[in-house]
Amino acid sequence: MKPANLVMQRVLRGGLAAIAAMIIGGASLSFAQESVAVRAAIVTGGLPVDDPNAAAWSTAAPATFPMSPQVHWPNRIQEVTVQDVIVRAMHDGKQVVFLLEYRDPTQDPDDGAALEFMVGDKKAHFAHGQPMLQVEGGPVNIWFWKHKTDQAVDMTAKGFGTLKAQEHQDVKAKGAYANGTWKIVFTRNLSTDHPDEDVQITPGNFINVAFAVWDGRKDGAGELVEKGSQKAVSSWWYFRADAPPDYSGYMYAAIAVTLALGFQFVLIRKLKKGQ
Amino acid sequence: MGALGKPIILMVAMYVFLKFVLPYIPGSAPLPSSLIVLYLLLTAAGIVIFQTLSGESKDAFWGPMQRFLTGENIGGMQAIRYGVFILFPLLVGWQTYGSTAASDVPPSESRTIHPAPPGEYTGLSNPVQKTPENIMQGKGFYAAFCSPCHGANFDGKGPAARGFNPPPANFADPTTIAMLQESYLFWRIKKGGVGLPIEGAPWKSAMPRWEAELPDEWIWKIILGEYDGAHQSPRTWE
Repeated sequence: MKPANLVMQRVLRGGLAAIAAMIIGGASLSFAQESVAVRAAIVTGGLPVDDPNAAAWSTAAPATFPMSPQVHWPNRIQEVTVQDVIVRAMHDGKQVVFLLEYRDPTQDPDDGAALEFMVGDKKAHFAHGQPMLQVEGGPVNIWFWKHKTDQAVDMTAKGFGTLKAQEHQDVKAKGAYANGTWKIVFTRNLSTDHPDEDVQITPGNFINVAFAVWDGRKDGAGELVEKGSQKAVSSWWYFRADAPPDYSGYMYAAIAVTLALGFQFVLIRKLKKGQ
Repeated sequence: MGALGKPIILMVAMYVFLKFVLPYIPGSAPLPSSLIVLYLLLTAAGIVIFQTLSGESKDAFWGPMQRFLTGENIGGMQAIRYGVFILFPLLVGWQTYGSTAASDVPPSESRTIHPAPPGEYTGLSNPVQKTPENIMQGKGFYAAFCSPCHGANFDGKGPAARGFNPPPANFADPTTIAMLQESYLFWRIKKGGVGLPIEGAPWKSAMPRWEAELPDEWIWKIILGEYDGAHQSPRTWE
Protein backbone atom coordinates (compact mmCIF):
# COMPACT_ATOMS: atom_id res chain seq x y z
CA MET A 1 0.00 0.00 0.00
CA LYS A 2 2.68 2.47 0.93
CA PRO A 3 4.86 2.46 -2.19
CA ALA A 4 1.72 2.93 -4.26
CA ASN A 5 0.77 5.93 -2.17
CA LEU A 6 4.16 7.47 -2.74
CA VAL A 7 3.94 7.01 -6.48
CA MET A 8 0.48 8.49 -6.53
CA GLN A 9 1.53 11.49 -4.49
CA ARG A 10 4.37 12.28 -6.86
CA VAL A 11 2.18 11.83 -9.87
CA LEU A 12 -0.58 14.01 -8.47
CA ARG A 13 1.84 16.77 -7.51
CA GLY A 14 3.37 16.84 -10.99
CA GLY A 15 -0.04 16.68 -12.62
CA LEU A 16 -1.42 19.53 -10.52
CA ALA A 17 1.54 21.72 -11.40
CA ALA A 18 1.14 20.95 -15.11
CA ILE A 19 -2.60 21.66 -15.08
CA ALA A 20 -2.05 24.90 -13.12
CA ALA A 21 0.55 26.03 -15.66
CA MET A 22 -1.90 25.33 -18.48
CA ILE A 23 -4.77 27.18 -16.83
CA ILE A 24 -2.70 30.20 -15.83
CA GLY A 25 -1.09 30.35 -19.27
CA GLY A 26 -4.49 30.17 -20.91
CA ALA A 27 -6.01 32.77 -18.60
CA SER A 28 -3.32 35.38 -19.27
CA LEU A 29 -3.93 35.11 -23.04
CA SER A 30 -7.57 36.04 -22.70
CA PHE A 31 -6.78 39.61 -21.53
CA ALA A 32 -5.87 40.76 -25.07
CA GLN A 33 -7.13 44.18 -26.04
CA GLU A 34 -10.04 44.70 -28.38
CA SER A 35 -8.94 45.80 -31.83
CA VAL A 36 -10.28 45.92 -35.34
CA ALA A 37 -8.41 44.30 -38.17
CA VAL A 38 -8.75 43.54 -41.89
CA ARG A 39 -8.01 39.91 -42.64
CA ALA A 40 -6.94 38.59 -46.01
CA ALA A 41 -7.85 34.94 -46.43
CA ILE A 42 -5.83 32.77 -48.80
CA VAL A 43 -7.49 32.28 -52.15
CA THR A 44 -6.62 29.69 -54.76
CA GLY A 45 -7.66 30.03 -58.37
CA GLY A 46 -7.12 33.71 -59.05
CA LEU A 47 -7.57 37.02 -57.25
CA PRO A 48 -10.15 39.63 -58.41
CA VAL A 49 -7.25 41.94 -59.28
CA ASP A 50 -8.95 44.34 -61.72
CA ASP A 51 -12.53 43.89 -60.69
CA PRO A 52 -14.11 45.84 -57.80
CA ASN A 53 -17.43 44.08 -58.54
CA ALA A 54 -16.15 40.50 -58.74
CA ALA A 55 -18.37 37.91 -57.10
CA ALA A 56 -15.34 36.64 -55.17
CA TRP A 57 -15.48 39.74 -52.94
CA SER A 58 -18.69 38.51 -51.33
CA THR A 59 -16.66 35.72 -49.72
CA ALA A 60 -14.19 38.14 -48.05
CA ALA A 61 -15.07 39.30 -44.53
CA PRO A 62 -15.72 43.08 -44.40
CA ALA A 63 -14.21 45.32 -41.72
CA THR A 64 -15.66 48.80 -41.16
CA PHE A 65 -13.54 51.72 -39.92
CA PRO A 66 -14.83 55.16 -38.85
CA MET A 67 -13.35 58.26 -40.48
CA SER A 68 -12.60 61.72 -39.09
CA PRO A 69 -11.67 65.01 -40.72
CA GLN A 70 -7.89 65.53 -40.75
CA VAL A 71 -7.26 67.92 -37.83
CA HIS A 72 -3.73 67.06 -36.77
CA TRP A 73 -2.00 69.64 -38.93
CA PRO A 74 -3.02 72.68 -41.04
CA ASN A 75 -4.67 72.97 -43.43
CA ARG A 76 -7.41 71.31 -41.41
CA ILE A 77 -10.95 70.49 -42.36
CA GLN A 78 -13.86 70.32 -39.93
CA GLU A 79 -16.31 68.18 -41.85
CA VAL A 80 -15.91 65.44 -44.42
CA THR A 81 -18.25 63.53 -46.69
CA VAL A 82 -17.14 59.97 -46.01
CA GLN A 83 -17.96 58.68 -42.52
CA ASP A 84 -16.86 55.04 -42.82
CA VAL A 85 -14.82 52.82 -45.10
CA ILE A 86 -15.55 49.13 -45.54
CA VAL A 87 -12.41 47.14 -46.28
CA ARG A 88 -11.97 43.60 -47.59
CA ALA A 89 -8.80 41.81 -48.60
CA MET A 90 -7.51 38.48 -49.91
CA HIS A 91 -4.20 37.06 -51.06
CA ASP A 92 -2.82 34.06 -52.92
CA GLY A 93 0.62 33.82 -51.31
CA LYS A 94 2.13 36.10 -53.95
CA GLN A 95 -0.20 39.07 -54.40
CA VAL A 96 -2.57 40.88 -52.05
CA VAL A 97 -5.76 42.71 -53.09
CA PHE A 98 -7.68 45.25 -51.01
CA LEU A 99 -11.21 46.43 -51.75
CA LEU A 100 -12.10 49.85 -50.31
CA GLU A 101 -15.80 50.67 -50.34
CA TYR A 102 -17.52 53.86 -49.17
CA ARG A 103 -20.60 56.02 -49.69
CA ASP A 104 -20.04 59.20 -51.71
CA PRO A 105 -23.15 60.87 -53.14
CA THR A 106 -21.33 62.39 -56.15
CA GLN A 107 -18.86 60.97 -58.64
CA ASP A 108 -16.16 63.62 -59.23
CA PRO A 109 -12.87 63.58 -61.18
CA ASP A 110 -11.00 64.57 -58.01
CA ASP A 111 -12.39 61.75 -55.86
CA GLY A 112 -9.49 59.86 -54.30
CA ALA A 113 -8.63 57.24 -51.72
CA ALA A 114 -5.49 55.88 -50.10
CA LEU A 115 -4.09 53.11 -47.94
CA GLU A 116 -1.23 53.85 -45.57
CA PHE A 117 1.21 51.37 -43.98
CA MET A 118 4.14 51.61 -41.59
CA VAL A 119 7.42 50.62 -43.24
CA GLY A 120 10.06 48.67 -41.31
CA ASP A 121 10.17 48.04 -37.58
CA LYS A 122 9.82 51.62 -36.34
CA LYS A 123 6.42 53.02 -35.43
CA ALA A 124 5.24 55.82 -37.71
CA HIS A 125 2.71 58.52 -36.84
CA PHE A 126 -0.56 57.98 -38.71
CA ALA A 127 -0.41 61.52 -40.12
CA HIS A 128 2.11 60.84 -42.92
CA GLY A 129 4.77 59.60 -40.50
CA GLN A 130 4.97 63.02 -38.80
CA PRO A 131 8.16 63.21 -36.66
CA MET A 132 7.56 62.43 -32.98
CA LEU A 133 9.45 64.32 -30.27
CA GLN A 134 10.40 61.48 -27.91
CA VAL A 135 10.19 58.47 -30.23
CA GLU A 136 12.21 57.86 -33.38
CA GLY A 137 9.61 57.09 -36.03
CA GLY A 138 9.79 55.42 -39.41
CA PRO A 139 8.43 56.24 -42.87
CA VAL A 140 5.00 55.35 -44.26
CA ASN A 141 4.09 53.78 -47.57
CA ILE A 142 0.98 55.28 -49.20
CA TRP A 143 -1.02 53.70 -52.03
CA PHE A 144 -2.95 56.60 -53.57
CA TRP A 145 -5.73 56.23 -56.12
CA LYS A 146 -7.39 59.09 -57.99
CA HIS A 147 -10.54 58.81 -60.11
CA LYS A 148 -9.16 61.16 -62.79
CA THR A 149 -6.41 58.72 -63.78
CA ASP A 150 -7.94 55.53 -62.30
CA GLN A 151 -4.41 54.50 -61.35
CA ALA A 152 -2.46 53.98 -58.15
CA VAL A 153 0.61 55.96 -57.17
CA ASP A 154 3.03 54.18 -54.83
CA MET A 155 4.29 56.89 -52.45
CA THR A 156 6.56 57.46 -49.45
CA ALA A 157 6.38 60.05 -46.65
CA LYS A 158 8.15 60.79 -43.40
CA GLY A 159 6.44 63.91 -42.08
CA PHE A 160 4.26 66.58 -43.68
CA GLY A 161 5.65 68.05 -46.86
CA THR A 162 7.78 65.00 -47.64
CA LEU A 163 5.20 62.99 -49.61
CA LYS A 164 6.60 61.89 -52.95
CA ALA A 165 5.97 59.27 -55.61
CA GLN A 166 8.45 56.41 -55.54
CA GLU A 167 10.83 55.57 -58.34
CA HIS A 168 9.49 52.01 -58.37
CA GLN A 169 5.74 51.84 -58.88
CA ASP A 170 4.52 48.50 -57.49
CA VAL A 171 0.81 49.14 -56.87
CA LYS A 172 -2.16 48.84 -59.25
CA ALA A 173 -5.64 50.20 -58.59
CA LYS A 174 -9.02 50.36 -60.27
CA GLY A 175 -12.22 52.07 -59.15
CA ALA A 176 -15.89 51.53 -59.97
CA TYR A 177 -18.73 53.89 -59.04
CA ALA A 178 -22.36 52.83 -58.79
CA ASN A 179 -25.41 53.78 -56.71
CA GLY A 180 -23.57 56.39 -54.65
CA THR A 181 -20.79 53.99 -53.68
CA TRP A 182 -17.14 53.86 -54.66
CA LYS A 183 -15.41 50.48 -54.81
CA ILE A 184 -11.66 50.60 -55.38
CA VAL A 185 -9.34 47.63 -55.72
CA PHE A 186 -5.63 47.97 -54.83
CA THR A 187 -3.19 45.20 -55.79
CA ARG A 188 0.46 44.62 -54.99
CA ASN A 189 2.88 41.76 -54.45
CA LEU A 190 3.15 40.74 -50.80
CA SER A 191 6.84 41.60 -50.86
CA THR A 192 8.90 43.92 -53.06
CA ASP A 193 12.60 44.56 -53.68
CA HIS A 194 12.47 47.90 -51.83
CA PRO A 195 11.93 47.21 -48.12
CA ASP A 196 13.11 50.73 -47.19
CA GLU A 197 10.12 52.37 -48.86
CA ASP A 198 7.53 49.61 -49.38
CA VAL A 199 5.56 47.77 -46.72
CA GLN A 200 6.50 44.08 -46.73
CA ILE A 201 3.59 41.75 -45.97
CA THR A 202 4.47 38.50 -44.23
CA PRO A 203 1.51 36.10 -44.00
CA GLY A 204 0.59 35.46 -40.38
CA ASN A 205 1.86 38.82 -39.06
CA PHE A 206 -0.35 41.73 -38.06
CA ILE A 207 0.74 45.08 -39.51
CA ASN A 208 -0.66 48.59 -39.12
CA VAL A 209 -2.89 50.12 -41.78
CA ALA A 210 -4.77 53.43 -42.06
CA PHE A 211 -7.13 54.91 -44.65
CA ALA A 212 -7.81 58.29 -46.27
CA VAL A 213 -10.55 59.50 -48.61
CA TRP A 214 -11.08 62.72 -50.58
CA ASP A 215 -14.51 63.67 -51.87
CA GLY A 216 -13.64 65.63 -55.02
CA ARG A 217 -16.79 67.81 -55.01
CA LYS A 218 -16.51 71.56 -55.53
CA ASP A 219 -18.17 74.36 -53.56
CA GLY A 220 -20.29 77.17 -55.02
CA ALA A 221 -17.17 79.10 -56.03
CA GLY A 222 -15.79 76.13 -57.96
CA GLU A 223 -13.13 75.34 -55.33
CA LEU A 224 -12.36 71.79 -54.21
CA VAL A 225 -13.71 71.25 -50.69
CA GLU A 226 -11.46 68.30 -49.86
CA LYS A 227 -7.90 68.42 -51.17
CA GLY A 228 -4.39 67.71 -49.90
CA SER A 229 -4.38 67.56 -46.10
CA GLN A 230 -8.10 68.39 -46.08
CA LYS A 231 -9.41 64.85 -46.22
CA ALA A 232 -11.11 62.11 -44.23
CA VAL A 233 -8.67 59.95 -42.26
CA SER A 234 -8.76 56.89 -40.04
CA SER A 235 -6.51 55.97 -37.14
CA TRP A 236 -4.08 53.05 -37.33
CA TRP A 237 -5.82 49.68 -37.44
CA TYR A 238 -4.52 46.22 -38.19
CA PHE A 239 -4.14 44.12 -41.32
CA ARG A 240 -3.12 40.48 -41.56
CA ALA A 241 -2.64 38.19 -44.53
CA ASP A 242 -3.55 34.73 -43.27
CA ALA A 243 -0.72 32.21 -43.05
CA PRO A 244 -1.08 28.89 -44.90
CA PRO A 245 -3.04 26.39 -42.79
CA ASP A 246 -0.91 24.88 -40.05
CA TYR A 247 -1.91 21.43 -38.83
CA SER A 248 0.95 21.04 -36.34
CA GLY A 249 -1.49 21.83 -33.50
CA TYR A 250 -3.32 18.55 -34.20
CA MET A 251 -0.03 16.66 -34.13
CA TYR A 252 0.97 18.16 -30.77
CA ALA A 253 -2.52 17.36 -29.42
CA ALA A 254 -2.17 13.75 -30.57
CA ILE A 255 1.23 13.47 -28.88
CA ALA A 256 -0.25 14.93 -25.69
CA VAL A 257 -3.17 12.48 -25.75
CA THR A 258 -0.74 9.57 -26.23
CA LEU A 259 1.42 10.78 -23.35
CA ALA A 260 -1.61 11.17 -21.08
CA LEU A 261 -2.80 7.64 -21.97
CA GLY A 262 0.68 6.27 -21.26
CA PHE A 263 0.74 8.13 -17.96
CA GLN A 264 -2.59 6.56 -16.96
CA PHE A 265 -1.41 3.11 -17.99
CA VAL A 266 1.82 3.39 -15.97
CA LEU A 267 -0.05 4.85 -12.98
CA ILE A 268 -2.59 2.03 -12.83
CA ARG A 269 0.11 -0.62 -13.28
CA LYS A 270 2.21 0.86 -10.49
CA LEU A 271 -0.80 1.13 -8.20
CA LYS A 272 -1.82 -2.46 -8.86
CA LYS A 273 1.73 -3.70 -8.29
CA GLY A 274 1.88 -1.76 -5.02
CA GLN A 275 -1.17 -3.67 -3.82
CA MET B 1 -15.20 8.80 2.25
CA GLY B 2 -14.77 11.11 5.27
CA ALA B 3 -11.11 11.85 4.59
CA LEU B 4 -11.96 12.90 1.02
CA GLY B 5 -15.27 14.58 1.74
CA LYS B 6 -13.84 17.32 3.93
CA PRO B 7 -11.17 18.45 1.43
CA ILE B 8 -13.78 18.59 -1.33
CA ILE B 9 -16.10 20.70 0.82
CA LEU B 10 -13.14 22.92 1.75
CA MET B 11 -12.16 23.45 -1.89
CA VAL B 12 -15.71 24.30 -2.92
CA ALA B 13 -16.09 26.67 0.04
CA MET B 14 -12.80 28.37 -0.87
CA TYR B 15 -13.91 28.83 -4.48
CA VAL B 16 -17.27 30.26 -3.45
CA PHE B 17 -15.52 32.64 -1.05
CA LEU B 18 -12.97 33.86 -3.63
CA LYS B 19 -15.46 34.18 -6.46
CA PHE B 20 -18.65 35.41 -4.81
CA VAL B 21 -17.83 36.77 -1.35
CA LEU B 22 -14.45 38.49 -1.56
CA PRO B 23 -15.42 40.95 -4.37
CA TYR B 24 -18.19 42.37 -2.19
CA ILE B 25 -15.97 43.14 0.80
CA PRO B 26 -15.59 46.95 0.83
CA GLY B 27 -12.33 48.05 -0.78
CA SER B 28 -11.96 44.76 -2.63
CA ALA B 29 -12.38 43.90 -6.31
CA PRO B 30 -13.16 40.78 -8.39
CA LEU B 31 -10.11 38.50 -8.65
CA PRO B 32 -8.72 37.49 -12.04
CA SER B 33 -9.31 33.81 -12.75
CA SER B 34 -5.57 33.07 -12.75
CA LEU B 35 -5.33 34.32 -9.16
CA ILE B 36 -8.33 32.22 -8.09
CA VAL B 37 -6.65 29.13 -9.60
CA LEU B 38 -3.44 29.97 -7.75
CA TYR B 39 -5.24 30.31 -4.40
CA LEU B 40 -7.12 27.04 -5.00
CA LEU B 41 -3.83 25.28 -5.78
CA LEU B 42 -2.32 26.61 -2.55
CA THR B 43 -5.38 25.35 -0.68
CA ALA B 44 -5.06 21.93 -2.34
CA ALA B 45 -1.35 21.78 -1.52
CA GLY B 46 -2.15 22.63 2.12
CA ILE B 47 -4.75 19.87 2.27
CA VAL B 48 -2.32 17.30 0.80
CA ILE B 49 0.38 18.29 3.30
CA PHE B 50 -2.06 18.15 6.22
CA GLN B 51 -3.55 14.80 5.18
CA THR B 52 -0.15 13.14 4.79
CA LEU B 53 1.30 14.25 8.13
CA SER B 54 0.70 10.83 9.73
CA GLY B 55 0.58 7.35 8.21
CA GLU B 56 -3.01 6.85 9.29
CA SER B 57 -4.39 10.03 7.84
CA LYS B 58 -2.37 9.36 4.68
CA ASP B 59 -4.06 6.01 4.11
CA ALA B 60 -7.44 7.50 4.88
CA PHE B 61 -6.77 10.23 2.31
CA TRP B 62 -5.24 8.25 -0.56
CA GLY B 63 -7.11 5.02 0.07
CA PRO B 64 -10.46 6.04 -1.49
CA MET B 65 -8.71 7.51 -4.52
CA GLN B 66 -6.74 4.35 -5.04
CA ARG B 67 -9.86 2.22 -4.66
CA PHE B 68 -11.54 4.36 -7.26
CA LEU B 69 -8.65 3.93 -9.71
CA THR B 70 -7.76 0.25 -9.22
CA GLY B 71 -10.24 -1.37 -6.80
CA GLU B 72 -12.49 -4.25 -7.88
CA ASN B 73 -16.24 -4.59 -7.40
CA ILE B 74 -16.84 -0.87 -7.11
CA GLY B 75 -20.25 -1.09 -8.79
CA GLY B 76 -21.53 2.10 -10.44
CA MET B 77 -18.18 3.80 -9.90
CA GLN B 78 -16.78 1.57 -12.63
CA ALA B 79 -18.48 3.65 -15.32
CA ILE B 80 -17.21 6.90 -13.81
CA ARG B 81 -13.70 5.41 -13.68
CA TYR B 82 -13.76 4.70 -17.42
CA GLY B 83 -15.18 8.17 -18.00
CA VAL B 84 -12.22 9.71 -16.18
CA PHE B 85 -9.75 7.53 -18.11
CA ILE B 86 -11.24 8.71 -21.40
CA LEU B 87 -11.83 12.37 -20.48
CA PHE B 88 -8.40 13.08 -18.95
CA PRO B 89 -6.35 12.41 -22.14
CA LEU B 90 -8.90 14.31 -24.22
CA LEU B 91 -8.67 17.31 -21.87
CA VAL B 92 -4.87 17.26 -22.08
CA GLY B 93 -5.06 17.07 -25.89
CA TRP B 94 -7.56 19.91 -26.07
CA GLN B 95 -5.42 22.14 -23.83
CA THR B 96 -2.34 21.37 -25.91
CA TYR B 97 -4.13 22.21 -29.15
CA GLY B 98 -5.44 25.46 -27.68
CA SER B 99 -2.02 26.57 -26.50
CA THR B 100 -0.25 25.85 -29.82
CA ALA B 101 -2.90 27.30 -32.16
CA ALA B 102 -1.86 30.64 -33.71
CA SER B 103 -3.56 33.63 -32.10
CA ASP B 104 -6.23 35.41 -34.13
CA VAL B 105 -6.04 38.45 -31.90
CA PRO B 106 -4.07 41.52 -33.07
CA PRO B 107 -1.12 42.39 -30.81
CA SER B 108 -2.34 44.25 -27.75
CA GLU B 109 -0.98 47.73 -27.40
CA SER B 110 -1.09 48.83 -23.80
CA ARG B 111 -1.15 52.60 -23.72
CA THR B 112 -0.53 54.86 -20.73
CA ILE B 113 -3.21 57.55 -20.84
CA HIS B 114 -1.39 60.09 -18.65
CA PRO B 115 2.34 59.40 -19.01
CA ALA B 116 4.85 61.49 -17.03
CA PRO B 117 5.57 64.92 -18.57
CA PRO B 118 9.13 66.11 -19.25
CA GLY B 119 10.68 67.78 -16.17
CA GLU B 120 10.35 71.32 -17.48
CA TYR B 121 6.56 70.95 -17.56
CA THR B 122 6.02 69.96 -13.94
CA GLY B 123 4.83 72.46 -11.37
CA LEU B 124 4.38 75.45 -13.70
CA SER B 125 1.64 77.74 -12.46
CA ASN B 126 -0.82 79.44 -14.77
CA PRO B 127 0.54 82.96 -15.42
CA VAL B 128 -2.88 84.10 -16.59
CA GLN B 129 -5.17 85.34 -13.84
CA LYS B 130 -8.39 83.47 -13.32
CA THR B 131 -10.71 86.38 -14.12
CA PRO B 132 -14.14 86.07 -15.76
CA GLU B 133 -12.76 87.83 -18.86
CA ASN B 134 -9.83 85.45 -19.22
CA ILE B 135 -12.07 82.41 -18.69
CA MET B 136 -14.47 83.76 -21.30
CA GLN B 137 -11.63 84.33 -23.74
CA GLY B 138 -10.27 80.83 -23.06
CA LYS B 139 -13.68 79.34 -23.80
CA GLY B 140 -13.71 81.24 -27.09
CA PHE B 141 -10.34 79.77 -28.07
CA TYR B 142 -11.56 76.36 -26.93
CA ALA B 143 -14.63 76.65 -29.15
CA ALA B 144 -12.46 77.55 -32.14
CA PHE B 145 -9.55 75.10 -31.75
CA CYS B 146 -10.52 72.29 -29.37
CA SER B 147 -14.27 71.72 -29.57
CA PRO B 148 -14.28 70.04 -33.03
CA CYS B 149 -12.83 66.95 -31.31
CA HIS B 150 -13.26 67.49 -27.55
CA GLY B 151 -16.85 68.70 -27.95
CA ALA B 152 -18.78 71.87 -27.18
CA ASN B 153 -19.83 70.14 -23.95
CA PHE B 154 -16.23 69.23 -23.03
CA ASP B 155 -17.22 65.54 -23.23
CA GLY B 156 -14.87 64.36 -25.98
CA LYS B 157 -17.77 63.95 -28.39
CA GLY B 158 -17.05 66.63 -30.97
CA PRO B 159 -18.16 66.16 -34.59
CA ALA B 160 -14.59 65.29 -35.69
CA ALA B 161 -14.02 62.68 -32.96
CA ARG B 162 -15.58 59.56 -34.44
CA GLY B 163 -12.62 58.18 -36.39
CA PHE B 164 -9.93 58.68 -33.79
CA ASN B 165 -8.47 55.87 -31.72
CA PRO B 166 -7.58 56.74 -28.96
CA PRO B 167 -10.67 58.96 -28.68
CA PRO B 168 -10.30 62.64 -27.68
CA ALA B 169 -10.22 63.11 -23.89
CA ASN B 170 -13.52 63.72 -22.09
CA PHE B 171 -12.81 66.64 -19.72
CA ALA B 172 -16.08 66.19 -17.83
CA ASP B 173 -14.87 62.73 -16.75
CA PRO B 174 -13.38 63.10 -13.24
CA THR B 175 -10.43 60.84 -14.20
CA THR B 176 -9.00 63.25 -16.80
CA ILE B 177 -8.16 66.92 -16.15
CA ALA B 178 -9.44 66.82 -12.56
CA MET B 179 -6.56 64.44 -11.77
CA LEU B 180 -3.98 66.63 -13.49
CA GLN B 181 -2.18 69.88 -12.79
CA GLU B 182 -2.49 72.86 -15.11
CA SER B 183 1.15 72.45 -16.11
CA TYR B 184 0.36 68.95 -17.40
CA LEU B 185 -2.37 70.30 -19.67
CA PHE B 186 0.01 73.02 -20.83
CA TRP B 187 2.49 70.34 -21.94
CA ARG B 188 -0.16 68.19 -23.67
CA ILE B 189 -1.68 71.12 -25.56
CA LYS B 190 1.68 72.61 -26.53
CA LYS B 191 3.39 69.42 -27.75
CA GLY B 192 0.31 67.43 -28.81
CA GLY B 193 0.17 63.74 -29.68
CA VAL B 194 3.64 63.67 -31.24
CA GLY B 195 5.09 64.93 -27.92
CA LEU B 196 4.04 61.83 -25.97
CA PRO B 197 6.68 59.39 -24.71
CA ILE B 198 6.68 55.86 -26.15
CA GLU B 199 4.33 54.49 -23.47
CA GLY B 200 1.70 57.00 -24.63
CA ALA B 201 1.76 55.54 -28.20
CA PRO B 202 2.31 58.95 -29.89
CA TRP B 203 1.90 57.44 -33.38
CA LYS B 204 -1.83 56.97 -32.74
CA SER B 205 -2.73 60.38 -31.31
CA ALA B 206 -4.40 63.02 -33.52
CA MET B 207 -3.83 65.83 -30.98
CA PRO B 208 -2.19 68.77 -32.80
CA ARG B 209 1.11 70.26 -31.68
CA TRP B 210 -0.43 73.63 -30.85
CA GLU B 211 2.86 75.40 -30.05
CA ALA B 212 3.26 75.75 -33.82
CA GLU B 213 0.05 77.76 -34.07
CA LEU B 214 -0.97 79.28 -30.72
CA PRO B 215 0.94 81.60 -28.36
CA ASP B 216 1.53 80.28 -24.80
CA GLU B 217 -0.83 82.88 -23.34
CA TRP B 218 -3.72 81.52 -25.41
CA ILE B 219 -2.94 77.99 -24.26
CA TRP B 220 -3.05 79.07 -20.57
CA LYS B 221 -6.38 80.81 -21.23
CA ILE B 222 -7.74 77.68 -22.92
CA ILE B 223 -6.80 75.74 -19.76
CA LEU B 224 -8.80 78.20 -17.61
CA GLY B 225 -11.78 77.91 -19.96
CA GLU B 226 -11.52 74.11 -20.09
CA TYR B 227 -11.63 73.61 -16.32
CA ASP B 228 -14.46 76.12 -15.94
CA GLY B 229 -16.51 74.69 -18.79
CA ALA B 230 -16.06 71.07 -17.66
CA HIS B 231 -16.86 72.02 -14.01
CA GLN B 232 -13.56 70.59 -12.78
CA SER B 233 -10.65 71.97 -10.74
CA PRO B 234 -6.98 71.32 -11.38
CA ARG B 235 -5.17 68.99 -9.03
CA THR B 236 -2.99 70.81 -6.52
CA TRP B 237 -0.40 69.65 -4.02
CA GLU B 238 -1.56 70.30 -0.47
